[in-house]
Amino acid sequence: MAEEENYANPLTAFFSVLFKAAALVFYIVLASFINNFIIVFVITVFLIALDFWVVKNVSGRLLVGLRWWNEINEEGESIWRFESLEQQELDRLNKKDSWLFWWTLYLTPVVWLALGIVALVKFSFDYLLVVAVALVLSTANIIGFTKCRKDAKNQIRNFATQTVTSQLASSLQTAFNRV
Amino acid sequence: MSRSSEKTPLHSTSQSDIDEIESLFNISVQPATIEVPTSTAPGKPATTVPQAATIPVSSDPRPSGSGNASSSTTAAPAAGGPAAFGGGPEYNTLTEPVWVTLKRDVVRVATNLRHVVFPNPYREDPGKALRDWDLWGPFFFIIFLALTLSWSATENKSKVFAVVFAVLSAGAIVLTLNVQLLGGSIIFFQSLSLLGYCLFPLDIGALVCLARDSKLFRSIVVLVTIMWSSWSSYPFVSTAVPHSRKALAVRFSPAEIYFHMICRVKYRLSSGEESKDKRSGVIG
Repeated sequence: MAEEENYANPLTAFFSVLFKAAALVFYIVLASFINNFIIVFVITVFLIALDFWVVKNVSGRLLVGLRWWNEINEEGESIWRFESLEQQELDRLNKKDSWLFWWTLYLTPVVWLALGIVALVKFSFDYLLVVAVALVLSTANIIGFTKCRKDAKNQIRNFATQTVTSQLASSLQTAFNRV
Repeated sequence: MSRSSEKTPLHSTSQSDIDEIESLFNISVQPATIEVPTSTAPGKPATTVPQAATIPVSSDPRPSGSGNASSSTTAAPAAGGPAAFGGGPEYNTLTEPVWVTLKRDVVRVATNLRHVVFPNPYREDPGKALRDWDLWGPFFFIIFLALTLSWSATENKSKVFAVVFAVLSAGAIVLTLNVQLLGGSIIFFQSLSLLGYCLFPLDIGALVCLARDSKLFRSIVVLVTIMWSSWSSYPFVSTAVPHSRKALAVRFSPAEIYFHMICRVKYRLSSGEESKDKRSGVIG
């Protein structure tokens, strides 16, 4: 039954992949053709940043129902906040969507790492800057979403425990009241 | 069944489920034994924020759909984070439209910029001002500065660009570490963000410098912008550092040196020289 399942959010999935792929393509292709490093740098970094924003704020939300950000509270401590849909919603999420999301998320830094090695070998430290930016941003997204997912699982587990306990307690109570 | 690709309005059949779950929430009090990762500020243990035993979920249906959002804080034994604190969003941000997210970020950049660079009442309490730090503003400012500087360079444009970008980013990180190592209490990202926003006056200066070519004009502009940048960063850095070390952090002011170095680039560029020696000046 799940064979013919389409992407529930084709547009989002498309964009989520688009910017990543565009950044890579620009980096590889432009670097070969255009001699102007600045243009390559600016365009690629801009695409990378755009991709970061899209993944963090849009794809994460719509495809896998996760969101993470950081806040500073009253005492000046930094707090990471995670948001996730509840279990019922999570189950309803399209499998294909989340497969695409997680795969592209993890694959991107690997590809950039490979490109970075190439740049290192070629001793082009300028381009290494671009790779560094790409790596930092994609790693940040990975860390954020992985933590968020773990947190979501914990929440669900806790909530389930809570529900079971409270239902048990309330049923026990009614049982005692009847006695 | 596939959902619409818009934000997720719930079907009516699931609304009853939501209601049931919400009523369960209302029954149970939630001690948050939620194990959450700590902040990534180096060496900063997350403290618990004292909370009342409230329900962290917004249980009234919002117009944009009511997926349940549970936000967890880095509190170990605290009882359920409140719906809002520290300037974070109070509502369920998971199902908001994209436009709203975008607008929120843009507004955040503008607000942060205003707080840092322009005189405003928040200067008395700098801890509050950059509460909602973000790195997008600094990102754009760095790119802009590097672009403008390399535009006005007469030779070796791409090298200038790369050097400026690298120096700005590395310099910001080094300065942040400096404040932290001095025992300061500023959060890593907050201070990165602050230093990035302080580049805004330099951006303006660079733009203005494009207008005229005379050395004197450029020197004056550079001087003014350095002072403006230093003035912007002063309250944040000084309150972050404990009193005894204040002199080191502020008086000696690595931040000033940092800005100064950047401006020397501009200065040198106006006479068409290379900027390589500037780099050694910053590291040394």
